Amino acid sequence: MHRLYTRSPIAKIVWGILSSLIGIIALLMVLVSENPRMEAQTINWQGRSIENGATLFDNNCSRCHGPSGQGLVGLGPALNSYYFFTPTGRMKDIGWVGSLEDYVLLTIAAGRPSKAGSQWAEVMPTWGGNYGGPMRGDQVEDVAAYVMNWRGSALAQTPEEDPFRPFEDVLQSTEFQNTAFILMSEEEQAIAIEEYKALNTRSPQEIWANEACLGCHNLSLAQADDPGQNGPNMADLFERAGSRVEGLTAEEYVYQSIVEPAAFTVATYENVGQMPQTYAEKLSEDELQALVAWLLDPDREE
Amino acid sequence: MGLQDNIREKGVLGAVAAQADDVFTRLTAGIDVGEFRRMLQGEPPGRPNPRLKPHSEGFLLHIKPTYYHESVTRFTHTFRLGLLSTYLFIVETITGILLMIWYAPSPERAYTDMILLLTNIPFGQFLRDMHRLGAEAMVAIVTLHMVRCYLTGSYKPPRQFTWFTGVLLLVMTLFLSFSGYLLPWDQLAFWAVTIGTSMAEAVPPAVVGETVNLLARGAPDIGANGLLRFYLLHVLFLPLLLILFFFVHYYKVVHFGISLPADEEEVGEDTANRVPADKRVYYLPDVLVDETSFMTVINTLLILLTVFFFQAPLEHIANPQSTPLHTVAPWYFYWLQGMLKIADKFIAGVLMPGVLLVLLMAIPYLDYNPSRRGKDRKVAIVAGIVAGAVMIILSWMGTPEYAVQGAPAVEIVQDVMPEEGSGLSREIGYKHLPLGIWRTDEEYDVHDHEFNELLHEFNDVVDFYRRADPDFNAPIGILTISQDQPSLKRLNWEITWFDAQGEAGNYEKTFWLHEDSIYWEQYGWKHLFLGYVSDGWKSLSGALVGE
Repeated sequence: MHRLYTRSPIAKIVWGILSSLIGIIALLMVLVSENPRMEAQTINWQGRSIENGATLFDNNCSRCHGPSGQGLVGLGPALNSYYFFTPTGRMKDIGWVGSLEDYVLLTIAAGRPSKAGSQWAEVMPTWGGNYGGPMRGDQVEDVAAYVMNWRGSALAQTPEEDPFRPFEDVLQSTEFQNTAFILMSEEEQAIAIEEYKALNTRSPQEIWANEACLGCHNLSLAQADDPGQNGPNMADLFERAGSRVEGLTAEEYVYQSIVEPAAFTVATYENVGQMPQTYAEKLSEDELQALVAWLLDPDREE
Repeated sequence: MGLQDNIREKGVLGAVAAQADDVFTRLTAGIDVGEFRRMLQGEPPGRPNPRLKPHSEGFLLHIKPTYYHESVTRFTHTFRLGLLSTYLFIVETITGILLMIWYAPSPERAYTDMILLLTNIPFGQFLRDMHRLGAEAMVAIVTLHMVRCYLTGSYKPPRQFTWFTGVLLLVMTLFLSFSGYLLPWDQLAFWAVTIGTSMAEAVPPAVVGETVNLLARGAPDIGANGLLRFYLLHVLFLPLLLILFFFVHYYKVVHFGISLPADEEEVGEDTANRVPADKRVYYLPDVLVDETSFMTVINTLLILLTVFFFQAPLEHIANPQSTPLHTVAPWYFYWLQGMLKIADKFIAGVLMPGVLLVLLMAIPYLDYNPSRRGKDRKVAIVAGIVAGAVMIILSWMGTPEYAVQGAPAVEIVQDVMPEEGSGLSREIGYKHLPLGIWRTDEEYDVHDHEFNELLHEFNDVVDFYRRADPDFNAPIGILTISQDQPSLKRLNWEITWFDAQGEAGNYEKTFWLHEDSIYWEQYGWKHLFLGYVSDGWKSLSGALVGE
């Protein structure tokens, strides 16, 4: 038994020094390995998050969005979709300026409690615990990670493969909510829009109501002297339009003001938010002409 | 003597040397350079012994004895287990304080902080692994320390109270380890602690049990309050209590001296404090060198085990709504879990541990046999061995091996792909799981060795339950692997069988596995580590040569 135990202090000191060196080498190895290890761990836990999200999606979401995210007619939109993933698709059509990931996270967490403008049979439920839903924050993140993991397969889809069905809740006409449209060049898109508009000409009254003109411009002759808070009164436009800008006829002036609102701002409205700049795209040439004529008509029908 | 006088008398070099010697003597609390050299050369001290000075002048050494009996310095007498326990407590304190930097005790953050520690903190995983390994080692070493003291009869007069405080320290060590268990806030932590605290509920009368449970958990169920309470117990209350009792314990050890090997003194005598001059081994330098080198070796051993062989587990985030299939206590409480399987909660969870604790503390007062020699203590030693054997059997009963078999189909899937932890399927990983339908009633010519192993395991475990359970006939296992998303495979396990009446049964369980996910077992070779080292070395050497 005594042999197990070294008496020599020199031997002990040598043992101590040797083992310290080995320990230091091991720690240096850890030091060298840390960057690759942390990278591997980062993607490891992202992978685990996606796995958790898969289980949650399977239990909660696939009933409406389909088992492989292809969407179900009338129940829920497709998520595994080119239109959904590309920035010029759904994101652009609803005017979302954040990232798609944020959009997905927020939609899962808060849901879509309102059915206004929606064609779906049921609302998107609120899932996030912070908003009264059944999931914890980490679960919402897991589901979002799983949905975002379709990016690769979604962006590889051809227009025919894209299972997306258009929404009725966005300004972009449902005709153009599809992958085929997104994949066109800008000129082709412009032609398609013109063709569509030519086929779907609206009356000036419809435009006035649906494009929100009446939100800022008053057409009541009785209040012609009241300038209005956000935009000038247009009731007596036929009297003023011809003399507003030198060298422009009344028609030219009104047309120009609609397609390019910044061209001739009335002085008192310079500090008010500008009129939308999108009417040139939204209205076809025929619609514009009809609208101008209607606005300048002293006996217009409302 | 002033510096100027010194220079005048000894010259500049001499004065500097004298000054340096003076500084050295102050730092060592009384050992000058010459004496230090004589120590290193192994020369005996002069008389009176100048090497005793640091014990009276220095704070750090005033608690240590100035010399030991030669017989108790042998490694095989104490195995240095007490020192080792102290060392591990220091390791736990240092790694624990560092871990506290990146940890917030709230259910919203605790688990995320664990992941951040693993993914974003250099040495984060090392610290966590070492803290966990150190905690488990500390429980083991403190227990072994107690076993050693029992077998050598060291609890006998006058050391009864030393033993008593030692038992208290063991209990505190167990509670420290267990209170730390909850902090990662994963399923393992949550359910182990839920079961642990539920035992307190069994304390009669009901109102007391419920109150104790409520105090520990901070609410009827463990939540934010419970986590905070366990955190405070773990980082503040229990360590302070342990430090207090450590000093009481150690004071008693020094005061009575370490008991000599029983054969070296008469029965009933205690000569530990009457060491003949020729048997003295002085602390400076012999024991100091011995303890320091021993701790250095142990420290390296702990680092090597942490770096190459041990990974602290981290399961899914705590989910109060879902109990994992086989919830287990930490291994040092397996015996308790084993008892809970055969007796009711009050007897197994409160009465027996309480009686055991009182019995342990009372051993020195119950054992009236004055002799510490093995041949005189046959009853005590046999009783000790029997108690140890019973603990091992109970511990085995505490594992899922014993008496908690679920339905065969559930157990089969749990075997190849458990809800928590790794299992063979996750261990071989994404790239070794080929898409397709794989049935246990068909033979496949698979070239992937790892997947072949999984298919064999699947076959074997289905076959095992077919033979073991008469209600589980003609079973077929069907594994369907499909590509659910890019980099994400879906594994659907389906088991079909016929029961004794010939009715068909069916069980299905689905898991997903991502390409980047790494699953590991708690113990075993860390097979990815050397790859990380070589990747890290490549980029480091690339940066060094300026690429």
